[in-house]
Amino acid sequence: MARSNMQMAGYALLAVLAFLAPQLLGGSGVVYSAAVLIAIFAVASYGLDVIVSDLGEVSLAHTVFFAAGAYTTALMASRGGVGSSWLTLLGAIAVALVLAGVIGLVTLRLREFVFSLVTYAVAVVGMTLAANWSFLGGSDGLRGIPTLDLSLPGLTLVAGNDRALWPYAFALLLAVIYLVARFRRSALGAAAVMSHLNPRLATMSGIDPARVRLQVFLLSAPISAAGGWLYAYQRAFVSADVLENYFLILMLTAVVLVGRRQLLGPVVAVALVLTQEKFFSLGGDIDKIILGAVLVAVLAFLPAGLASLARPLARLRTARAAANATSPLNTLEHTK
Amino acid sequence: MSQPVLDIRRLRVSYAGNRALDLDALSVAAGEVVGVVGANGAGKSTLVNAVAGWSRGTPSVEAQISLDGRRLDAWPTHQRVRAGLVLVPEGRVAFGRMSVDDNLCTAFTPAAQGADEGRHIYSRDEVYALFPRLHERRHHLGHQLSGGERQMLGIGRALMMGPRLLMLDEPSIGLAPQMVEQVLGTLKLLARKGLAILLVEQNVRAAIEVVDRLVLIERGRKVLEGAASEMGNDPRIAEAYLGASTT
Amino acid sequence: MTILQQIINGLVLGHAYALVAIGWTLLLGVARLVNFGHGQMYMLGAFVTWWAVVKAGVPYALALPMAMAVGALVGVFMQRVMLKATFEQNLVSIMIMTLGFGYVLHGVASIVFGSTGQILETALSRRDIELGELWLTWQDAAIVVAAVVVFVGLRWLLDGSRIGRLVRMVAEDPKLAMLTGVNVRRVYYGVFAFEGAAVAFAAGMVAPRTPILTSMGFEEVIMTFVVVVLGGIGSVTGSYVAGVALGLFTALFSALVSPAYTTAAVFLVLIAVLVLRPGGLSARVAAGAH
Repeated sequence: MARSNMQMAGYALLAVLAFLAPQLLGGSGVVYSAAVLIAIFAVASYGLDVIVSDLGEVSLAHTVFFAAGAYTTALMASRGGVGSSWLTLLGAIAVALVLAGVIGLVTLRLREFVFSLVTYAVAVVGMTLAANWSFLGGSDGLRGIPTLDLSLPGLTLVAGNDRALWPYAFALLLAVIYLVARFRRSALGAAAVMSHLNPRLATMSGIDPARVRLQVFLLSAPISAAGGWLYAYQRAFVSADVLENYFLILMLTAVVLVGRRQLLGPVVAVALVLTQEKFFSLGGDIDKIILGAVLVAVLAFLPAGLASLARPLARLRTARAAANATSPLNTLEHTK
Repeated sequence: MSQPVLDIRRLRVSYAGNRALDLDALSVAAGEVVGVVGANGAGKSTLVNAVAGWSRGTPSVEAQISLDGRRLDAWPTHQRVRAGLVLVPEGRVAFGRMSVDDNLCTAFTPAAQGADEGRHIYSRDEVYALFPRLHERRHHLGHQLSGGERQMLGIGRALMMGPRLLMLDEPSIGLAPQMVEQVLGTLKLLARKGLAILLVEQNVRAAIEVVDRLVLIERGRKVLEGAASEMGNDPRIAEAYLGASTT
Repeated sequence: MTILQQIINGLVLGHAYALVAIGWTLLLGVARLVNFGHGQMYMLGAFVTWWAVVKAGVPYALALPMAMAVGALVGVFMQRVMLKATFEQNLVSIMIMTLGFGYVLHGVASIVFGSTGQILETALSRRDIELGELWLTWQDAAIVVAAVVVFVGLRWLLDGSRIGRLVRMVAEDPKLAMLTGVNVRRVYYGVFAFEGAAVAFAAGMVAPRTPILTSMGFEEVIMTFVVVVLGGIGSVTGSYVAGVALGLFTALFSALVSPAYTTAAVFLVLIAVLVLRPGGLSARVAAGAH
């Protein structure tokens, strides 16, 4: 159909522009670094987005999946000497799946807020483990992570700095966005939304909400872990501070700021937040207050997100168009 | 002519954009029992809920509601209740985890709310005198009572709030016929003492014995209104609710 | 340290846990609200008390009510912002908003009180009670007494007073309570104010036991959560029993196994309970204050 081709062309153009954005904005190391981080945190946020927006539940464990991705990568690459980043990615995904499986099975039949509290506890315990367990480097963390190496036989694909890392970060982001879009159009995606909005109807249609929750959870965890995987390479260093509350608040804001179930919502939101932090910072603590306040304010006063501000404008445009399109013939009929 | 206790004008209720009730006018005078009848889903509950400013769902309500000439459509539920506009809802009327004694208490002191003449404030003892069964089971918890006893509990508590207008939504549901007679008889008694009553009932046969005026609601609109004595013979009511064979 | 000493430690700790959890219990039982900012509100209570005593020279007995007032105000403010979500029972929004609030409180506290650890010492915490080989500080004893008083007082209030009746009505069926003339909005404000004041009081009482940091609060939320789930949601007596049991477990585990992984151990106990008995240990699972 003509419209969907237009949409595809639009998306393609957007993607090209986004890819060129760091270059267009000066091409300095700072800009590339910000761009890569935006991509990484957006990827992590998409994992949470699927749970919050589609399934309608709050998981506070996605920082743990993010950290699991980072730690697995660090352990495999620096201690384990694994050179290929493809293998570390697989490792990160596998560990995330195992963790999510355990958490998911344990919380299978629990009420939503108990589920949330358990995920919160998982994150806190994760923090304790990361800070104390020598296997994970304890409070010093894990250093000496080699550079990203996605080389295939005959093709060298290495990234030693942020500028070189950007294409891979962008590719990962695109892949994740595509995955989320496919999920939303899939049967599982529909089942998730139905069990969220109308659990009774869902059960009557043969959907088991608990199983759906588990499946969506299992899908979401590796997404956040992939973000962690890339983060390990970007930073070349992983420690317990990867489980800081900051990441949770950032991811939650990314999910709600633009609006629920908006495909590009998380990446736009992360871009806004990180841009403020990197280029318009008012100091760490004040930035914290701003971020937290934004999260609260959006949910309290603009629950449908920033996108809902754009809707009245769109409605105005269509109303005007409709008025212009009214022919004299139609008006005559109405006055009968 | 004295002003009615309850005066409703232009009542419109919608659920998620769908109009559920569209009523131009309805009023109840002191000492009058007005019965609201109609099929399931006609909008009877919607009517009394909207008057009370209350609902278990989220309807959008537009109305001009006056109690003794005072407009209170902008007031929240609890304020209307304190002013004497009391509803005994359909379904859950009692707190299951609280004792009968505890259920029979008010959140405010009706006398302190400046209750004027026409609001008889029942004390707990008076309620027990009215419903001796409740007195027997005063220490039992709400969920241990039968349906009829819970209904009595709901009515009893409503009376303790010193209502000026009492609205009851299907008080006879699940009650044995003798119980229904007793409850409706009590309402008639209260009306004679000056209480204005708006009664929603599916059991038209029983209601007709008790009400002064009958209002028939069909698909959210008032289709018939008149004195009970006349309406009882109206073929529309007879046909729809009293069964095909009427003598 | 002997087992008996650990048991005394555990009892003190348990009463502390119960005291910290009581506001959360009521908030969840009455208003069905999950407050993830609880830990940061605890931190704030501890720091306001510390600041009042150490920096402003206010007597401890006055510093506690000050902290409680600040806590109550924070609670009321939070409820005001979240009012719409509360009435709509939009739990997802509420949970995320309380997380956001907690984060803001952390930021504010870092600015106002700094990021270094502080120690709050009171006249009570400096003096010990010795019972033969065993000892505890007067502060510890005060914690136990305070917890018992608060719990008994709350039970009495809920069961015997008019306000208690209203609160129980709202806890069971807020819509029906409206029809009884209850101003449910005011009850929600009251319960949130209680949560703020109670957690601040608990913080002021318990803070002298360990150094306090503006980054603290997370473990307090876990402990509170465990206490509430084990004790039965909304059950005042249950929270007390669960708190004391948890305190004993924590003290013994910390002494006999490892202090660093205590939270992890508690978490595992919780998971075990949730898996085996998804309704918690209390037979009655329904929400409500009792």
